[in-house]
Formats: sequence, structure tokens, C-alpha cells
Amino acid sequence: MKSQNWWLYVVKYLLVISACAFTLLPLIWVVVRSIEPDTGIESYSLIPRSITFENYPAAWNYPTVIDENVTLGTMLFNSLFVAGIVTLVSIFFDSMAGYALARKNFVGKKVLFWLALSTLMIPFYAVAIPMYIITIRFGMYDSLAALIIPFTASGFGVFMFRQSFLSIPADFEQAAKADGANDFYIYWRIMLPMVKPTVATMVVFKVLWSWGQFFWPLLVIQDYSKMPINLGLAMFRGHNITRWGLLCAGMIVATLPILVIFLMCQKWYVEGLSGGLKG
Amino acid sequence: MKRRVKENLIAYAFCAPAYTIFTIFLFIPIVWVVFLSLKDFSIVTFYSAKFVGFRNYLRLAKDQIFLRSIVNTIYFTLLYVPGNTILGLIFALLLNKPFKGRDFFRLALFIPNVIPMVVVSIIWSLIFSSSTTGIANRILISLHLKPIEWLSDYRYALIAVGIVLIWSGFGYRMLIFLAGLQNIPDELYEAAALDGATKWQITFKITLPLLRPTTFFVITTSLINSFQVFTPIYIMTGGGPGYSTTTIVNYLYTKGFSEFQMGYASAISVVLLVIILALTFVQRKIGREDIIF
Repeated sequence: MKSQNWWLYVVKYLLVISACAFTLLPLIWVVVRSIEPDTGIESYSLIPRSITFENYPAAWNYPTVIDENVTLGTMLFNSLFVAGIVTLVSIFFDSMAGYALARKNFVGKKVLFWLALSTLMIPFYAVAIPMYIITIRFGMYDSLAALIIPFTASGFGVFMFRQSFLSIPADFEQAAKADGANDFYIYWRIMLPMVKPTVATMVVFKVLWSWGQFFWPLLVIQDYSKMPINLGLAMFRGHNITRWGLLCAGMIVATLPILVIFLMCQKWYVEGLSGGLKG
Repeated sequence: MKRRVKENLIAYAFCAPAYTIFTIFLFIPIVWVVFLSLKDFSIVTFYSAKFVGFRNYLRLAKDQIFLRSIVNTIYFTLLYVPGNTILGLIFALLLNKPFKGRDFFRLALFIPNVIPMVVVSIIWSLIFSSSTTGIANRILISLHLKPIEWLSDYRYALIAVGIVLIWSGFGYRMLIFLAGLQNIPDELYEAAALDGATKWQITFKITLPLLRPTTFFVITTSLINSFQVFTPIYIMTGGGPGYSTTTIVNYLYTKGFSEFQMGYASAISVVLLVIILALTFVQRKIGREDIIF
């Protein structure tokens, strides 16, 4: 019995460690390529032959080949700007709607709730063509607005906020109402602070989602100075860059911000996953 | 009476911003795309679009490449869904109980999911690069196997993309399974252990049956995702060689946005929409209704 347990233990560690090697080694390989001198000869070792940081400025300035005013910094800024505004505004809009659906009684409440849920079933790709036409008609084509405005509300957010507002006892609201506070004040100063965990969860989800966007920017952005960094990277890839060190440095610049945000907010992400599961 | 009206108006004001966005960018498009699919136009000829009835659909039914793209998508699904579900489940079971290093291992398996899909696709197209330059082939050579043209051989290209998406996705499924495992009460395990059940018996007779709703959820959401795969294929293979990795969404993109046959692409959109809605319907009808994403 004892020896059987010991065996299971070894097998378990072996499995887990080889899975970690599978997930982590490609990432380590990229980091190593980015800090190794770029000789044009592909290198495979996981230990750099020597260390240099010249790939980073080279990657940073690479976009100037196409447009002299654009660096990787421009694209990094676009991504940060879009993700920041989308996250802030959509959390505001989602929580307002979620608040009304959880706390107010009004005609058509059920229908609105059902509509919010139905948005989760609509595959984005299936509405891309009409969205593209609408974006052009609104004069948003080739602007950051096209990457922001359509995503300033999400059914998922409305649902999550509704659920968490539902779980707050009515006393707080009634006390504030008795004091004559108006509805927006109650929502903004009393109710929203009570669902901070949901806000934190939604921040992580929205930033990750917005940062990872690719299909939509590919459709509506052509100007290099308006590109989010992921689209920019894909474009450079299309130029058949043979300098892997430079490409790897660019990929790290595109990944590091989101990785840092995720590592800081892991807890909220995991909580959001299990929250969504419990409903 | 007046109070009720005011209550209503306030509630609508709270809902207005979100629902305006939904209406303009989701509800109108979803109805509109059905009408667009009955027309023949490009973005330039939009105002003089010709109404062609169901001709786009008839064309689709005979379009060999479209049919190929559906077959490819299903083939891809057969790799993606079982791969992600099984690996996710196995590692959730292995990493459920506390032990030394558990949190690090969980993080390590999940991390690829945080990397943007564009970056994932570029990393792996370097790893899978042709002949003897890519690492994947270096490994094969060191094992005395023949190198493979991963991304330019029609037999392997879709498998390569499948491997990439399992790499990036199984950690996410693991986290969902772990959340599902949290909902199984400890008493059940304790009772079984008291009755002298072995570890295997507990896993197969208690854990897995109780995990069924989560498993169902993981399978259906993975199905829905896999029918919408686009980015890795766009970057790694461009749908080729030939049309061997063209999936439904890649074909939609090609028709709509590089050939600008937008009416025809709208018909593809509607087909995709019907497939996804059917899958979602199955999920909602059979699965737990309280699970949301």
C-alpha cells in the first residue's frame, strides 16, 4: 500500500513537471532569443550565448521603416489607451444596467435581462460585416474610436453586476433613500463600492479581452499610427522578418504589460471564473 | 401613479447606455446580416446592392471550398475539444489537493492563456518553421525521426494548429474544472474513504460523475470556440497549403474582406450564426442553466 502511494506520487510529479515544460519552455525560448545577439542564425539553446539588449531598441524602431512617425511605443500606447477606455466605460455602463436589473422594478425588466443574456450567444464573427458597414457610416473607420465604442458594454458584464447587486441586502439603499439621496448617488456612492470584487474581476477580464483583440482591428485599422500592438506585430510578421531576435523582443513588449496586470490580479480572475460557474 | 412612471424612467435611464450599444452593434447587425445575405454587393457597390434572394445560399451549397472549410472546422474540433477537455480534466484532478508547489504549477499551466493569440501564433510559427530550422523538427531529428513540414504539409498543418491551441487553452479548462471541484463537498470523499474506497474508486465513482455538469459546460463552450477559430490560422498558415486549413471564419474573412463579396460572406455569417446558436441551444437545454460562460 505504502509503496503504491509512493509510485503515484512520482507519476504525478512527472506528469505535472512535463506539462509545465510544455507550457513554459516556448516562452523561455522567446525571452532568451530576445536578449541574445541576433546573428541571423537560428539558435535553440535555452541559455543565451551572450546577453545584449540591442534587440529591444531595434524592435522599438522597426515600424519607422514603414511610417517614420510610428514606433512600437505608438502601438503600445494605442493598445493601452483602447484597453483602458474600454474597461472603464464598459464597467460603468454594465454596472448601471446591472444595478437597474437587480434593484429596480420596471416594465420590460425580464425582456431586458433576456436581451443581455442573448448577447452572449451572438458570435462576433457573424455580425462583423454589418458592424463594419456601420463603423464606416459613423465615420469611425481607421480610428481608435472604432476599437472602443462598439465594446463599451457587454452582456457578460451586465449579468455579472446584476448577480452581485442582487446579493446585497436592501437596508443600505433604504436608509439612503430615507435620507433623500437621489438614485444616481445611491448607485455610485453606496451600491457600486459594495461590489468592488466584481469590479476587480471585470477589470481583469476586460483588459485581457481588449488587449487580445485581433480580428476587429484587422478589419477597421489600416493606418500604422492607429494600430494596436498585436495587429502591428502580425503586420511585421507578414513582412517576413528573418531577424528572430527582433521579432521576439517585439512579442515581449506586446505581452509584458498584460502579463504584469494578470499576475497582479490573478486572484480576481480565478474568483471570476468560479463566480461565473456558480452563477 | 406618477411615482411608478418616475421609477420606470429612472430604471430606463440606467439601462440606456448599455442597451444603446447593444442595439447599434449587436441587435441591428444580427438582423441586418440576414438581409445582407440576400444581396450581392461589395463595400463600394453597397448603395446599388442587387437583391438576389437565396442565390448566395445555393452557391454556398455548391462551393467546394466552403464545404471543405466546414470539414476542416470539424476536423479541427475533433482535435481541439477532446485535447483541451481531457488535459484540463487530468491536470485539475492532479492539482486539486494541496501539495508542495501546487499554486506554481497551476499558474505555469495557465500562463499561455494570458499571452495574446497573435503572439502565441508567431511563437509557434517560429517553433514549427520549415525543414530543419524550427525547434519542433530539431526535436524530431534528435529522436532520429524524419523532420516534418509542419505548416506547409496539408497532412500536418491543421494538427500543428491544434497543438498550439491546446497549448494555450488547456490551462483555462483546468481552472474551470478546479472551480467545479470546489463545489463537491468534502464529506462525500471522507465518507467514501471511511468505507474503504481506493483513490481510483473515489475518482471514478464520485468525482467524475459529480463533475459532469462542469464537463458538459467545458465541452460545449470549447465546441463553440472551436467553430470560431481564426487568428492562429490567419497568422500561421493563412488557410493553406491549398485550402487544407481554411476554416469557416477564415473563409468568411477571405470572401468578405479580401475579395469583398460581402453578400456572399454575409450568407457564410448566417450559416455560422445558425451553427453557434444550435450549439448554444443544446448547451442551455441540456446543461445547467445557472452557468453563464
